[in-house]
Amino acid sequence: MSGDDLAFRDRCAIAGIGTTDFTRNSGRSDFTLALQASLAAIEDAGLAPGEIDGIVRCDLDLVRHNDLAHVLGVRDLSYMGDVSVGGVAPSAMVGQAAAAVIAGLAKNVLVFRSLNGRSGRRYGRSSATQSKVGGNNTYDEFFAPYGLLTSGQIFALIAQRHMAEFGTKETDLAQIALTCRARANANPGAQMHDRKLTLDDYLNARMIASPLRLFDFCLETDGACAVVVTSAERAKDSPNPPALIRAVSQGAMLDPQPGVQFPVLMRDTITTLPAKATADKLYSRAGMGPSDIDVAQFYDCFSITVLLQLEDFGFCAKGEGGPFVSSGEIDMGGTIPINTSGGHLSDGYVHGMSHVVEAVRQIRGTSTSQVPGAQTCLVTSTPLPPGSALILRAS
Amino acid sequence: MTQSQRRVLPETQDPDTGGFWEGARLGEIRVLECSSCGTLLHMPRAYCYRCGSWDNHWKAVAGTGRLHSWTVVEHQVHPDFPTPYTVVLVDLDAAPGARLVGYLDGAPELAVGQPMRARFENVDDDVTLPQWDPA
Repeated sequence: MSGDDLAFRDRCAIAGIGTTDFTRNSGRSDFTLALQASLAAIEDAGLAPGEIDGIVRCDLDLVRHNDLAHVLGVRDLSYMGDVSVGGVAPSAMVGQAAAAVIAGLAKNVLVFRSLNGRSGRRYGRSSATQSKVGGNNTYDEFFAPYGLLTSGQIFALIAQRHMAEFGTKETDLAQIALTCRARANANPGAQMHDRKLTLDDYLNARMIASPLRLFDFCLETDGACAVVVTSAERAKDSPNPPALIRAVSQGAMLDPQPGVQFPVLMRDTITTLPAKATADKLYSRAGMGPSDIDVAQFYDCFSITVLLQLEDFGFCAKGEGGPFVSSGEIDMGGTIPINTSGGHLSDGYVHGMSHVVEAVRQIRGTSTSQVPGAQTCLVTSTPLPPGSALILRAS
Repeated sequence: MTQSQRRVLPETQDPDTGGFWEGARLGEIRVLECSSCGTLLHMPRAYCYRCGSWDNHWKAVAGTGRLHSWTVVEHQVHPDFPTPYTVVLVDLDAAPGARLVGYLDGAPELAVGQPMRARFENVDDDVTLPQWDPA
């Protein structure tokens, strides 16, 4: 433990949370979604919109700081932050907001993510539309011409390799999808609330990119989430119990490789994620380990992504993720209940930000799949190529 | 659809990676190597992260490797890539640490670790795509 850890630890809190509905076609702009989630979060924090003086956004968001500041009536926008990249950002966005508060750059920082991820730009589709792809340090020229076009195909290659190295089974991956679905069935706001999923359903679903099937993939979603970060002291005055930000970390692997995502396949190992470095730093900063975590929201763009993170965050040894999930350890009552709103797989894919919101619900005791007496919740934003993560705790 | 009908073609003139595609036109698998300390620079970058040198050269290596992983794509995401097709990820025998991607029609039987051999697919005057077949 260092003094730097103590300078951050529990100094700030998430005082407000807000979301829109999660749908396949919002009929609203990204901006309207962002505003709706933001207004809800600010009200939840017991603040007036004009009291926001900092805004942190994700680099892939179409909504800018000034867009929101204008309509919120922010008189003195003192802090504007951007965090990259995409799904790696959310935990780090909260961390940047907290750092700004601790540094005295802002008092009440709004953190948001908004996307029409289903009706608008779909990340599951290829963006390779030009006649020539790649160049300019993207390295896409080594991938797209061979039909390697999406994140799902990257994780399919990783899953196949994990199976070959460690004997991981398709029924192991199924358990992750089924667990998230069961949590969604308990959450009236989840897109898959009314749709049960059985192992037969999972195995009979069409293959998307082997060994990953339909239900290994998250739900491209229209929706937005926002939270308000403020000092732990000010959060005491908010209407809801504050969720203290115990620690936040960002991490990358040695030789992280350049580019947005595809070159991660060139790393020495493709079965360990940057989650490993992110986790080690997070636990050190928090003065905690995996056994101190009561519940976790794992970034689940795909089922395999959860399995890798369970290993990298130390809930089981590398290679043992398959038996770990198949023995019920991620279910309610298991070692580490996960994705209690249904996650990206069955609630909605709001690019990691919905996991932050659900973590706050767990700390408040208001989740639709509440872990009894949960005092700590882990949030991961660790797909590729680097990662971030945070731990919230009850005050 | 054959490879030559596809429209998704690589940028071949990039200052950092163009040498790879120049080699492919000559029927060579090339990797970038630091001229100062011999570190493999893959993906190709002008600067050596080990020794700080800006001197590097393209080295032709054997077109043989081992299958690191693969996926059969069955859900079509691009009009130029009808399914099913297979994406292979190959570890180069002669350049440990270097991996390349290849495309195979359909869904051939494959196993991690199996030997693979390079094939050079001439698309047009500018583009030759190194491909990888089971050896």
